[in-house]
Amino acid sequence: MDVTEAHRAFRGRSVISAEDFHKEDLLAVLDAARRFDPEGGSHQYEPLLQGRILATLFHEPSTRTRLSFEAAMLRLGGQVLGFAEPHQTSFSKGESLADAIRVVASYCDVIVLRHPMEGAARLASESSEVPVLNGGDGSNQHPTQTLLDLYTIRKSTGRLDGLKVAFMGDLRYGRTVHSLANALLNFDVQLSFVGPESLRLPDVLRQRVEAAGRLGSEVSSVEELDEDIDVLYATRIQKERFPDPLDYERVRSAYRLTRASLDRFGDDLKILHPLPRVDEVAMDVDLHPGAVYFEQARNGVTVRMALLHLILGEGADA
Amino acid sequence: MRGPKDFRLSDGTVIDHLPVGTAARALEVLNLPRGGPVTVGMNVPSTTFGRKDIIRVEGVELSKSELDRLALLGQRVTVSLVRDGDVAHKVVLETPLEVEGILRCPNPTCITNQEEVVTVFHRIGDFPYRFRCHHCERTRSIHEETEEALPTRR
Ligand SMILES: [Zn+2]
Repeated sequence: MDVTEAHRAFRGRSVISAEDFHKEDLLAVLDAARRFDPEGGSHQYEPLLQGRILATLFHEPSTRTRLSFEAAMLRLGGQVLGFAEPHQTSFSKGESLADAIRVVASYCDVIVLRHPMEGAARLASESSEVPVLNGGDGSNQHPTQTLLDLYTIRKSTGRLDGLKVAFMGDLRYGRTVHSLANALLNFDVQLSFVGPESLRLPDVLRQRVEAAGRLGSEVSSVEELDEDIDVLYATRIQKERFPDPLDYERVRSAYRLTRASLDRFGDDLKILHPLPRVDEVAMDVDLHPGAVYFEQARNGVTVRMALLHLILGEGADA
Repeated sequence: MRGPKDFRLSDGTVIDHLPVGTAARALEVLNLPRGGPVTVGMNVPSTTFGRKDIIRVEGVELSKSELDRLALLGQRVTVSLVRDGDVAHKVVLETPLEVEGILRCPNPTCITNQEEVVTVFHRIGDFPYRFRCHHCERTRSIHEETEEALPTRR
């Protein structure tokens, strides 16, 4: 769809789940994001949303998501208000989320909600008169993360079709892995998975990938991955997943990327990570020409600017 | 030994064409036994379905909300209302694509278990059905619900 159509399609729309996005919606956001891409350095000030207010309601802390949304709104000339943790506010005192959202919606033009319970953003969007953007609802969805991941893959490799993408780490509980894998199934990709036995892909997703004919290899170490993969998406393995600390230590050292472990893949490989990393990606990987995870973080602002502009902005001036 | 007398209802309800294995769930959903005697047939040969489960309850008529819940168990669950020994009314239940206000989400951290929300579930695929929670997006089978039935809020 062209720019005008994209604005029409997104005007006033809530963004709750990557599952709500068809291929053309995904592409519309990625295309719109090009305009805001600073190509390194800082984002330009483009006052397209002057006088508009973004409320960031974070019922659990997620500093990067919040700052990224706020930076995007400020770069667009809009303003932000909100809270970073619920105990700073009276929101946690028994008022229903639906009521709280209804009230906040009357103070602002768009809401970003982060909430520890699954489905909170969907519920909020049903109670709100202004669009709600899901900044993460429990272990369910974080759609803008998926969009910025897709944007980063397309930007760094130049395409989305014909790619071989490998996911590494917590395949079982990793929300980012599930959402991105699902979104990538809209394209002609081959998906491989690297992780410990206990954190294998959920059956439902595995079957979905397989039924689409897009399942590459499922292996338990980076050494077993095909050399010709284009993208390696690493995620953190949470300590809490392992009742026995010794098991965790074993897994942690087995799923640690180092510069040396990446040598055999060639320099065209792109390495992504949703950040923050702990030690699953060694510092020396930063020097790999394909290490794009900091750019990925910057792309978060780019994509959120595009999304806010699509939802709140005027299509005609684009 | 079952005599024909056990099969004949004078006033009550026959729930027929339940998929094999769902009779127990149906009893739970309908809070049976109540009313009069209840006869349950499981894995009964059927001309149209191969095998089926069937329940006969004396002295009970089902409400709309109970029919809505039974409709989730199979593709063509048939409910006959019997009065004075004759079938007074017969309906074939259709499983809706969207189930509103009937199921509870089994995910404890789903927002619908904290806030007062009318739950919505989307039916996925063909029988045996799975249902996806509109809010938290988890899928469940019909057999997962073990809590008290939610009242229908329509
Ligand atoms: Zn739910």
